[in-house]
Amino acid sequence: MTGWEELASTALVGTDRRPYQGDLLDAAAVEVARRRAGRKAGAVGQQAPHAAGPQAPDAAGPQEQAPHAAGPLAPDAAGPQEQAPHAAEPQAPDAAGQREQATGAAGRREQAAGAVGGRDGSSEASPEAQAAPVEERVAVGRRAAERLVRIMGGEHERLLPEWLAAAAATGRRVPPYVLPELLEKGRRDRSIRVHLGVLAGQRGRWLAGLNPAWDYLLEEPTGETWELGGAADRRAHLRTLRTADPAQARRLLESTWERETPDDRAEFVEVLADGLSMDDEPFLESALDDRRREVRQAAANLLTRLPGSRMSQRMAERARACVTISRKVIAVEAPRDCDKAMERDGIRPKPPRGIGERAWWLQQILARAPLSIWGHPPAALLKMKIPDWDAEVKAAWVRAAVLQKDPEWARAMFGWDPIADLLESLPADEQQKLAADFVKKHDLDSQLIMVLGGVSSHWREGLATAVLRKIVKVATRQPWNLGELVKLAGERIDPALFPLALSYSPVESVQQVAALLRFRADMYKELHP
Amino acid sequence: MIERWSRDQVLALAPDAASRSAAQKVAAPGKWSACGTTGTVVYGECEGSGAKPYLACVDLTEPAYRCSCPSRKFPCKHALGLLLMWAAGGVSVEQGAPQWVTEWVEARAERAAKEAAKIEAVRAKRAAEASSGEGDGAGRAEVSSGEGGGGVSGAGRSGGSSRMGAESVRHGRVAAGLSELERWLDDQVRQGLAGAAEHEWEGLAKRLIDAQAPGVAGVVSRLVRVRAEDDWPGRLLEEYALIHLLAVAYRRRAELPGALAETVLSRVGFPVAKEEVLAGPAVRDQWDVLGRRDEEQDRLTSRRVWLRGRRSGRAALVLSFAPQGQPLDASLVTGTTIEADLTFYPGAAPLRALVAARHDRGTDDAVRYGSGAGGFVGGTPPGVSPEEALDEVAGVLGEDPWTESWPLVLAGVVPGRDSIGGLPLHRAARDPWRLIAVSGGRPVTVAVEWTPRGLRPLTTWDDEGTAVIL
Repeated sequence: MTGWEELASTALVGTDRRPYQGDLLDAAAVEVARRRAGRKAGAVGQQAPHAAGPQAPDAAGPQEQAPHAAGPLAPDAAGPQEQAPHAAEPQAPDAAGQREQATGAAGRREQAAGAVGGRDGSSEASPEAQAAPVEERVAVGRRAAERLVRIMGGEHERLLPEWLAAAAATGRRVPPYVLPELLEKGRRDRSIRVHLGVLAGQRGRWLAGLNPAWDYLLEEPTGETWELGGAADRRAHLRTLRTADPAQARRLLESTWERETPDDRAEFVEVLADGLSMDDEPFLESALDDRRREVRQAAANLLTRLPGSRMSQRMAERARACVTISRKVIAVEAPRDCDKAMERDGIRPKPPRGIGERAWWLQQILARAPLSIWGHPPAALLKMKIPDWDAEVKAAWVRAAVLQKDPEWARAMFGWDPIADLLESLPADEQQKLAADFVKKHDLDSQLIMVLGGVSSHWREGLATAVLRKIVKVATRQPWNLGELVKLAGERIDPALFPLALSYSPVESVQQVAALLRFRADMYKELHP
Repeated sequence: MIERWSRDQVLALAPDAASRSAAQKVAAPGKWSACGTTGTVVYGECEGSGAKPYLACVDLTEPAYRCSCPSRKFPCKHALGLLLMWAAGGVSVEQGAPQWVTEWVEARAERAAKEAAKIEAVRAKRAAEASSGEGDGAGRAEVSSGEGGGGVSGAGRSGGSSRMGAESVRHGRVAAGLSELERWLDDQVRQGLAGAAEHEWEGLAKRLIDAQAPGVAGVVSRLVRVRAEDDWPGRLLEEYALIHLLAVAYRRRAELPGALAETVLSRVGFPVAKEEVLAGPAVRDQWDVLGRRDEEQDRLTSRRVWLRGRRSGRAALVLSFAPQGQPLDASLVTGTTIEADLTFYPGAAPLRALVAARHDRGTDDAVRYGSGAGGFVGGTPPGVSPEEALDEVAGVLGEDPWTESWPLVLAGVVPGRDSIGGLPLHRAARDPWRLIAVSGGRPVTVAVEWTPRGLRPLTTWDDEGTAVIL
């Protein structure tokens, strides 16, 4: 038991029951000053007492009192309670009130001992032994980093993904001081993680190794290779290879296919979407027998985009069995059951709530059957009468246009059901033109917002003006409704158009859009100095 | 020309979170019809709800704020928004400022001159007293004239301070209060802390207030917090021992060296008048503003700002108070370096100080702020090793064992999750991730607040010498 513990336990019980030689509070005061002076600089409750003492005999400080305090018999290690206060007494040459041992003298005397504690503490509690590796990438500039902090702090918070994507595209990293906050964001928001692998740099990964809350970062692509990298790195590698040499990428995938985990297999199949061709068909067809449903589903989705695939042909046959097109009428008979072969081809037997089984099967078959089987342009088909299952057939066409990424069908079906997914199948220019037309004809409602949400950034002048005009119009009648449209406009319009917005109208909502565009323009400027 | 502050530095000036977010909304170029900076002053006209725009202006050297808006928050969102735009590089440098700006700057200069004259007068008076009272040596036992609650403004400290007067009415009350306290503590130790009488502390603190020993009363009333800690028996004994030490030291203050006696009186709760302090000897230096901490207590917010002088190596604490919701002194910006005269409150290990004068105002002997690329001041302040820091703290505790806080700049230390350079961190400061991130496991310079319970990191400087507030 150390001197201090002795004092504390005696005080706890009381000197009435456990008599103490001398004045306990006097002795305690000396000890407190001593402890505070370094030995336990705050390490209350830790094992600091062991650190002090015998093993540091050479730690004598500059003070003349040091040898007594810092030697092998450091007071805490000394044991007998009376030793500490008494030992203090004789050598307090400059102490003002010598009999009041504590004031003045006690603390000073102990400074060497304090230093001992500190030194020992440092070698024992040696924190993170390994320093972070040197960075390979340059950090973004100070202004850019400050803007990131502003965004994370809540200023136009929705721009965070855009900032991150733009910064990652420059191949740079963020300065270390923003990392904790950024990694914390990534912990809560999966969608931004993909950018963090690059942006966090070596320091970020080093931090993630120290804090389990951030270790998701270690799963993000960093630039490692196929053999050594984590799943994300391998996916990135495969994606790059696929762009350069689709066949080579497929062969690489086939070579390790059996050993991949089910999760990885599902992710890897999706990589084949890029550069998809009939060469991939045999591999994808075999993937339809995979144990994991996600893998089968991903393979079926890709095969749907290959009208010549065996699966598409099988689906075409199923569709033909359901549908008969006469001159102006499409007669439909939904399937009666869902067999194993259909399931293998990605048809899911169990309908979601609210849809009947037969309708569900019908929709899936028609959505996966090649659009060429209809033999008429979509506009003509939409004019025909469908006595039974009308809504199901049209919903299936929408789904087919999305799945098969067919621009002609997407255009036609957007006229029937303007959903954002359809826009994805169209080239950027056309997306914006369609959306602009839609904005002109359509009132501001949630559907309009959804359609606009599907039009990727940066909106050019046509769509930008259409949206600004809509904002001005709505601003007078229902300004309370504008919030989301104003935000979306500010986030998606090409930031270079901010002068256009600024001078377009003095209406406050338009000025808000202009301000946000300006913010983004500055943001890009900082990232590309 | 003052280097732009970082956004963090600006936001740290905001009185509360609401002001922070309001300021960010105001910080849009579209809201300001005219704005500019002369290098030391930033100004602008912000459109408000009324017909007239609000005129906002910030003197960066203090900083000092002015705005024509009716907000009671200070600095208001307009001043902050203006600073945010300036920090983001959105305010251009203009040749001349508008009249309303120059008028304000001149008025402030006038006021500063008046203030300086007032201090000069106190100083002169003191000098006169000192020369007239030179004969009476210690002068400590001198009987003071009426010593009231707040009254210390009368005689100067050095020339026979009324604070020291043993016979005053107040000393009589304090002495009685503290001797009761001494007896009470002895009882506690005899009967054992296990029966720690929590309910008694409140009454005890009240009696100490009545006895005009508010400093001790404060310590006693904080014991409740100590009792809530895991290792409370030891902690309580620590506090009791220090209170005991203070009471004994007060009783025997005549035997103590002068400076230590001053410390004891301050700790007990005898105030020192601001004018007194301002009139004391000034320490001119380049002071690094290391960091600050606000604390709320009894509907009063206190702000501690820690500094260290580059030339003198001295540590300083500028303490300010404001009722909750009222603005605190925001003139010291973390991460900047100011050229100023500081005067210290009396004591054996003087720490608390006042900024008596600043010399970094004009453009002539301007001091560079912030990351100071190329300036003779700025960037990472000089620091010491943990060993040297501990020596310093031990020295301080030797002079003033009641010290609870001391600013240090540690150089070449590697921060960990619960220690910096081997020195343990305060429990509330564990896992200083931002600091660890900046360091990357390599030695850095970090400013910390030493406390008996461990270090609290304040600020560090990254590779570019930019201050990172922790």
